[in-house]
Amino acid sequence: MSAALSAQHVVKRYGGVVALSDANLDIHSGEILALIGANGSGKSTISKVINGVVDLDGGQLLLDGKLVRITSPQVAKHLGISTVFQELSLIPQMSIADNIWLTREPLKSFKVINRKLLNQKTEELLSLFDGTLRTKFKPDLPVSALSPDEKQIIEILKAISIDPWLIILDEATASLDNRQVERLFELVRQWKAKGKAVIFISHRMEEIFRIADRFSVLRNGKTVGEGDIKDITEKELIQLMIERENVVQFTKVSAESESQSRTKSVYLEVENLQTETLHGVSFRVHEGELVGVGGLRGQGQRDLLLSIFGDIPFHGNIKIKGQSIHFHHPKDAIKHGIALVPGERAREGLLYIRTVLENLLLPSWNKYGFPLKIRKAKEDAARVGDRLNLVMASLMDPVSSLSGGNAQKVVIGKWLLRNPQCYLLDDPTKGVDVNTKAEFYALLTNLSKEGKTILFYSSDDDELVGLCDRVLVLHDGIIRAELKGRTLTKENLIAASLGVSNGGEA
Amino acid sequence: MKRFYISPPVAALILAVVLFLLSGLLPNGFGKDIHVAFAQATNIVRLSVFLGVIAAGQTLVILSGYEGIDLSAGSIVTLTAILTYVTVNGRDDKVLSAFLISLIVGAIIGLLNGLGITFLKISPFVMTLGMSGVVTGLIIIINHGNVSGKVAPIMTRLIARPLTPKIPIPNAIIIWVIFGILMWLLLERTAFGKHIFAIGVNRITSRLSGVNVTAVNLAVYSLAGALAGFGGFLVVGNTGVVFIALGQPFLFPSIAAVAVGGTLLSGGKGSYWGTMAGAIVLTLITSLLTTMQIPDSIRRMVLGATLLVMISIYGRQRGFRQ
Repeated sequence: MSAALSAQHVVKRYGGVVALSDANLDIHSGEILALIGANGSGKSTISKVINGVVDLDGGQLLLDGKLVRITSPQVAKHLGISTVFQELSLIPQMSIADNIWLTREPLKSFKVINRKLLNQKTEELLSLFDGTLRTKFKPDLPVSALSPDEKQIIEILKAISIDPWLIILDEATASLDNRQVERLFELVRQWKAKGKAVIFISHRMEEIFRIADRFSVLRNGKTVGEGDIKDITEKELIQLMIERENVVQFTKVSAESESQSRTKSVYLEVENLQTETLHGVSFRVHEGELVGVGGLRGQGQRDLLLSIFGDIPFHGNIKIKGQSIHFHHPKDAIKHGIALVPGERAREGLLYIRTVLENLLLPSWNKYGFPLKIRKAKEDAARVGDRLNLVMASLMDPVSSLSGGNAQKVVIGKWLLRNPQCYLLDDPTKGVDVNTKAEFYALLTNLSKEGKTILFYSSDDDELVGLCDRVLVLHDGIIRAELKGRTLTKENLIAASLGVSNGGEA
Repeated sequence: MKRFYISPPVAALILAVVLFLLSGLLPNGFGKDIHVAFAQATNIVRLSVFLGVIAAGQTLVILSGYEGIDLSAGSIVTLTAILTYVTVNGRDDKVLSAFLISLIVGAIIGLLNGLGITFLKISPFVMTLGMSGVVTGLIIIINHGNVSGKVAPIMTRLIARPLTPKIPIPNAIIIWVIFGILMWLLLERTAFGKHIFAIGVNRITSRLSGVNVTAVNLAVYSLAGALAGFGGFLVVGNTGVVFIALGQPFLFPSIAAVAVGGTLLSGGKGSYWGTMAGAIVLTLITSLLTTMQIPDSIRRMVLGATLLVMISIYGRQRGFRQ
C-alpha cells in the first residue's frame, strides 16, 4: 500500500467569508503530518475538504498524481480516507458495535445482521486499546453509557474500521488521558510502519513534536510553511503562525491603568473553579477591568463563564465584591448585576420569532409593573437601540428580520437595559461584520471606562491583544498563562494557547 | 413586493361571519329576518363560550411550547362538573365554594401534569393522556354510587340567562368577554405572560435571560388545569345535568380552536383572541351541520378538514413573510 495525497491551492468560501485562500498539503504513505494553525486558520476546513464534508471552490486534490474530486464522505471512504472528528459523530442510543459498523454491518443470508461476527470484529478493535479502557467493555454497551474519552476512542476505532490508508486525527487527543494518548501514539507508529499516513491536528505542541514527521502551517487560510519537524523549533513554528503584516487598530482604554487597577477594589474572585472541562482555575478581576480569556476553542472558556453565571454546576469558590456566592440559576446572577452574552446567539441569545422589543426586554419585564408599562418599555428599548446603532424597521419586527450583526446587538442590548456591573462575554464578535465589530470594540471600551467589569472570551487573538488589559490563556482546563503589559503579544498568546510554557509568565 | 397579510384571529372571524351569512340562505335559515339572525348569532356565540373557556388553558400550554398540550382537559371538565353538581346540590349559597373547588381541583391536576413533564421528563402528550385516564377512573369511582345533586338556580341565572330582559345578551357571553380581556392582560401585559411566550420559543435563551423556566412551566400547566376546571363549572351551569362523557367531546375542539385561531402549535406565538375566534368558527360549523341534519360522522370530517385548511393557510402566510 503506497499512496500520496496532495492538496494544491485549495480555496473554500463560506458565503463572504474566505476560510481557505491558498491551502497546500502533501502527504505520503508511511508519514505523519502535523497540521498547525491558530484559531480560524482553516485547519478544520482543509480536513473537511479532504474528507469530502465540504466541496472546494478552487484548487485541486491529487491522489497518486491523478486529479480526484471528493464530493462526499462516502467517496473519501472509498478512496481510503477516514477522519476522526472533534465533534463526536456517534449515535448515543446505539451500541458500540452498531456505531462502529453502521451501514457496513456483516450480513448473513436474507440481509440479517451477523451479530456474532459483528461483536467479534468489535472485540478485535477494542483490544487495540486494551488496558486503557474500563474493565468489561462490551460491544453491546450503548454509547450513551460511555465517558467522553471512551467515546473518543470508539470514534477512532470507527475511523480505522474501514482500514483506510489515510487517517485524519482532528484534535482526537483532546479528551484522552495520558495512557490512552500513549496507546494511540503506539498505534499511529504501527500504522506508519504498515505504510498508512496520518494527518495529525492537535492543540498540544508537545504531542506534535513527539509524533509528527513533517509539519504544515496554516495562517488565515493560507499555507505559510512546510518542512520536517526536526528542522524547526517551537518558537519558529509560532512565528510562522503569527501574521506580521496585519495591523489592527485598537484603542486601548487602560494601557496606563495597570497601576490604577491596583488601587481599585477586586470585583470578581475565582478560586479553584472546577467543572467537567475546568480543572482548577483561579484569578481575580478588578472593578472596571477588561480581562480577556484566550486560548484555542473548547479549552473550558465556556464553562468558566457559565459557571460564574450560575448556569452549570461547579466546585470551587467564587466571590463578588468579597462576598462568597454560589448561583444555581442565571436569574440569581442577574440579580447580582451580572450579564452574560452567550456564544451561540440563535440558540442561546435570541427568541427568533418574537419582536425586537420582547427580546430586548426579556430579562427586565419584572421591572415594568402590572399591567406592563409598554410605552415606557418601548422608550427604553428605543434608547438602547439608538445607543447601539441598531438598524431595524421597527421595534415590533421579529428579530429574525435583522442581519447577524444587528441580531447580536440585540443580545447585548438586553443587558444594557439593566445596566449590570459585570459583563461575561462568550465570543461576541463571532460571525459579525467588520463595522459591527468596530462598534462593539467602542462599546466595550466605553463600558470599561464607566467602571464596568468585563470578562471577555474571544476566539480572535487580535481582539484580545488589542482590547484587553490582561489576558488569561486557558489550555486543557487550566490557566496556562496570564499575559499583560509587555508580555501581552500575539506571539505569547498563541504559544500559551498551544501549551508552550516559555511563552508568557506561566 | 407588497405582502398581503391578515392576522389569524381576523381571518377566523371573517370565516365565521361569512359562514353565518351563508347559513341564512339555508331553507330553514334566518332569511331576511334581522331579529332571528341576531338571536341565532347570539346563540352560537353563547354556545362557543364553553369551548372557548376550556380552550383557554389549551392556548396557554400550547404557547409554552416544547410539544405542550393538555389531553386531560376533557376529563377535568367532567370531574369538576360533577364536583360542582354534587357540592351545590341546588343551594345558591354553595355556588362559590363549588366554583373554588373546581378551580383548585383543576389546578392540582394541572400541577401534577406539570411536575411529571418538568421533573420526570415525560412528554406533555403522554403525561396528560395518562392523567386523563387517571381522572376518568376517578370519575367512575365517584359516579358508581350514582351522583345525586342539582344545579343551583343562581348558576342558571348567571350563566344561561341575559343580565336584564331588555338586553338580550346571555350572561355567558359577558363573562366570556371579561374573561377574554383578562386573558389578554395575562398574556400581553404581565411579565409572566411574556415569559410564557419566551419559553415557548427558546428555553435556553429564556433561562440565560433569567427566566425561571421550570416555575413558568409548572404555573402554565396548573393554570391550564384550573381553567379547564372553570370550564367544567360553566358547562354544568349551562346543561344542568352531568354524565361521564360530558367533557371529552370538548377535547379535540379545544385543540382545534387554538390552531384555527392561528396559535403556532409549536409554541411561542399566538393569542387568546385567536382561540376565541376559533371556538366560534368550530361551534358555528358544528351547529350549522346539525341544523342541516348531517350525520355526526360527516360533521367530524368537515371539522377535521377545516382545521387542516386553516393551518395550511397560516403556514403558507408565514412562509411568505420570512
